[in-house]
Amino acid sequence: MTTTRRAAVLGGNRIPFARQFGPYAEASNQDMLTAALEGLVARHGLAGERVGEVVAGAVIKHSRDFNLTREAVLGSSLAADTPAYDIQQACGTGLEATILVANKIALGQADSGIAGGVDSASDAPIVVPERLRRKLLRLNRAKSPAERARAALAIRPTDLGIQVPAATEPRTGMSMGEHMAVTAARWGVTREAQDELALASHHHLAAAYERGFFDDLMTPYLGLTRDQNLRPDSTIEKLASLRTAFGTGLEATMTAGNSTPLSDGASAVLLGSAEWAETHGLKPLAWFVDGETAAVDYLSGDEGLLMAPAYAVSRMLARQGMSLQDFDLYEIHEAFASTVLSTLKAWEDPEFCRDRLGLDAPLGAIDRARLNVNGSSLAAGHPFAATGGRIVATLAKLLHEKGSGARGLVSVCAAGGQGVVAILEAA
Amino acid sequence: MSVVVETLAGMPSTAPLLVRAALTARGRRGSTVPERTLRVDDVRVDRTRLAAYQRLTGYDVGDALPQPYPWVLAFPVQTALMTRPDFPVALPGLVHLENRVTTHRRLDAAEPLTLDVTAGALRPHRRGRTLDVRLEARVAGELVWECDSVYLARGRGTEDAPRGDSPPKAPGGPAVAVWRLPENLGREYAAVSGDVNPIHLHPLAARAVGFPRHLAHGMWTYARTLAALGRGSLGPSTSRVWFTAPVLLPSTVELVRGARDDGVVLAALRPRRDPSNPQVLVAVEAPPER
Repeated sequence: MTTTRRAAVLGGNRIPFARQFGPYAEASNQDMLTAALEGLVARHGLAGERVGEVVAGAVIKHSRDFNLTREAVLGSSLAADTPAYDIQQACGTGLEATILVANKIALGQADSGIAGGVDSASDAPIVVPERLRRKLLRLNRAKSPAERARAALAIRPTDLGIQVPAATEPRTGMSMGEHMAVTAARWGVTREAQDELALASHHHLAAAYERGFFDDLMTPYLGLTRDQNLRPDSTIEKLASLRTAFGTGLEATMTAGNSTPLSDGASAVLLGSAEWAETHGLKPLAWFVDGETAAVDYLSGDEGLLMAPAYAVSRMLARQGMSLQDFDLYEIHEAFASTVLSTLKAWEDPEFCRDRLGLDAPLGAIDRARLNVNGSSLAAGHPFAATGGRIVATLAKLLHEKGSGARGLVSVCAAGGQGVVAILEAA
Repeated sequence: MSVVVETLAGMPSTAPLLVRAALTARGRRGSTVPERTLRVDDVRVDRTRLAAYQRLTGYDVGDALPQPYPWVLAFPVQTALMTRPDFPVALPGLVHLENRVTTHRRLDAAEPLTLDVTAGALRPHRRGRTLDVRLEARVAGELVWECDSVYLARGRGTEDAPRGDSPPKAPGGPAVAVWRLPENLGREYAAVSGDVNPIHLHPLAARAVGFPRHLAHGMWTYARTLAALGRGSLGPSTSRVWFTAPVLLPSTVELVRGARDDGVVLAALRPRRDPSNPQVLVAVEAPPER
């Protein structure tokens, strides 16, 4: 196959996002992914249908969920002969899944596919300390009673305990927020600017709900019909009154209000070729144009942990011969308000664009009125792998409302110093 | 003939009723079942309990009520009806023979239900007498779910009693799933369902009534099998179950599944050690998912 064709975003579905230990505390990743998938299937009349491939994943995943996505497919009304696989690229999982599905469709290897993601911060796998784990494995391997006794006696009371996974970088021991605080200070991102962005996120998301924007993008789950984290009546004063959570001294600007909360939720996006859409009576919302990933060296302190999307966007724009201002809408994932603001500052900075991106001129400023117009993760919450699907479905529908040819840029930062970005164009 | 509908002030609590059932088991006699419907309005689903039930029976944790779940919700009401002084048969020792459930539309956990329990006639059986019990669930007056159960009150039988529909022949062939049922399954199910019948809890209690060990709840085997057959029974559908032999705990059972025939899927549970002796038969009639 040498020619490629366009892959269309045909629809999306998610369950409302819940805060950690909220209404989804009892639900597993598989339960939530199945619910999101089943809603998508119901809305698009896909019950009993074999879809080319379902690709999804979770960032925090129990080892027994090795086939999480396939299990969710089997629990859904999709035909049982629908193949599936799991991926994991931290918070980039959902968008990366979209890119993978779109690419197979573009290459003619699939006619349709579903991309998604799920995460639970509540139903987290509990891990025993590493020392205890090794001793237990040794006990399990022991053959003779004497070996067993020796192995059992080696376990000390001080070995006991449980560890709940945290959003900490394994190689730095720093939480994502601590990393971000360093970057925010480097770019001089103010507390006020972060709080303003957070407030806009809540107000925009609330307005989108008010106009029924999510009516065909969401399936209620366990009694929730809206994102639990949404505070429609939040004010700048309330946000300003919160204590800082990351950073120290004057450089401490990040609060629980301008950082995303740990969340539970799932999302799914339906993609297909134009022909497949037509035969299934579905209308493309947007075309998938391009995707790019990048990673940065955050270990040396040379670059901030969450700055990789700045690089990925630059490379993707060059490939497409586009400028940063060629977009009608921008969806920049709000891991922290300061992530969005640092990225925007970097794109406007001549030195950064010259020295880091190798550009003659800065990428420049964007029209802030086009940024996250229906809110983003600060208001909706951020179940890591589910965020990409939320953004793709939201943007595809927004672009479709704007009319054919409208273009949108997606940017998602991820743990490990990675970033995943993509371009969609209204169908 | 009109049935008196008696609306209870709230959901009765099961434990004291079961104690009363045990204490009043002897001395119940008669052959007429009082014409009475017990009703409880505004029954709310406790989502934590529902999630525990869904996990134990193999459903995804979600909003749609598993088809047997209203039976679980109505269990205290059913117990209340059967422990009334004028009820002719004793609750302890009743054997669940079969069940037929129709879901008229998907039931959502957010919907408050009105549950009705009505006992039907006593009929002769080879091994005693059978009792029909009818459960109905309504949402805002609309009948959304109905269930007819047949129980056997063991006793002096009637040799030439007319036989009801005999259960269908169990599908054969290889197992499609193997379930290892743990010793504590009855206690786990009792915890999520509130049905604390001792024959499911401990071998000693089961031996007292003539079983070698304690038994899995029939309504657990029914729910677990329905869950394994897919999402069809979450929507408009009818399922039937026949309990033909006890499922002892612990044990390993095999699920066998027949081909869809005339819109009906038939499945059976059989002991791994004795595959020729099916224990539970389930038939589901649901529209195909396509």
